[in-house]
Amino acid sequence: MIRTIVGLAIVLVLAAILITVVDDYTVPSALSGVGELYTQTGVEDTGSVNLVTAVVVAYRGLDTLGEVVVLFSASTAVVLILTLIPIGANPTPPSSIVAFTAGILPGAIILFGIYIITHGHLSPGGGFPGGAVVASAFLLVMLGSNTIPDKSKFLSSIESLAGLTFGLLGFWGMFTLGQFLNNLVIPAGSPGRIISAGIIPLISLAIGAKVASELSGIFSSYRKAGGEE
Amino acid sequence: MSAEYLFYWSMAATGLGLVLIGLWGVLTRKHILRIALAFTLADTGVNLILVWSGFLPNRAAPIIDSSVTTVVDPLPQALVLTSIVIGVAVAALFVVVGVLASRKSGSADIRHMKELRW
Repeated sequence: MIRTIVGLAIVLVLAAILITVVDDYTVPSALSGVGELYTQTGVEDTGSVNLVTAVVVAYRGLDTLGEVVVLFSASTAVVLILTLIPIGANPTPPSSIVAFTAGILPGAIILFGIYIITHGHLSPGGGFPGGAVVASAFLLVMLGSNTIPDKSKFLSSIESLAGLTFGLLGFWGMFTLGQFLNNLVIPAGSPGRIISAGIIPLISLAIGAKVASELSGIFSSYRKAGGEE
Repeated sequence: MSAEYLFYWSMAATGLGLVLIGLWGVLTRKHILRIALAFTLADTGVNLILVWSGFLPNRAAPIIDSSVTTVVDPLPQALVLTSIVIGVAVAALFVVVGVLASRKSGSADIRHMKELRW
């Protein structure tokens, strides 16, 4: 009871503060600062027509490298906790609907994921969403099978290889153009073509492989731990 | 109010609402997995507000084309793209630690988890 009252009071006070803030907010009519700079010079600088990808991979590529490290440490912690303390042994068998779907859909889902990854510089997408889509296909396969395949070695080698590729592409720019992760070590090409935008498609591929293998690793250790005792 | 502005303000209202519902859930729920769920709700609300902060009515998505000249701010969208992935990783870690704590104390109710008391 006290918990409910205190919780409600805190939420209402925060709501009042937020509503006051939003009430004072005036809708901007033009872009300002760095956002405007990105929209004006983004295509020239990076060769990528999708400016979000240009910011994520080219302008703020170093931050993305840091974010990949955060994702890596979180997935390592999940796998470590679930491996050190095994919770269950036998996976629950899938229903016939899930088993049937898992036999049909994964190929199409993986193809769609690869499309999202490789077209990150042209249309909405890129390594992170595409990698998540590919991982969802692996999740479907795992949910639809009775046995748990142990692919942790394969997954971690893909993950390491992708991370290494990201780092080495960064150093390539550093040694040739004097700038870490400079994406114009490969000529930008004509914006809007599939092979354009320097090393952005390569980094997208690396990020996609890394995200897909990390999320698949999390799913498979969940699946291993989630069975009945 | 035009449809574009209706969309604009409903986006802000949805974000604020999700943050408040998530906070309410974290403060009052007792099942550890429901707390994790409320936490991810608040996370989603924060992401929505961040995207909204770079959104300008009557402008196109930031994909430059010969026919597109005025676009919304790409920077918050890039931030949120990374924030979503980090959110997934944090939620996965949250669930694992929650399952571990509930196995240790024999119950998923946080009132039975003596390690959380201070």
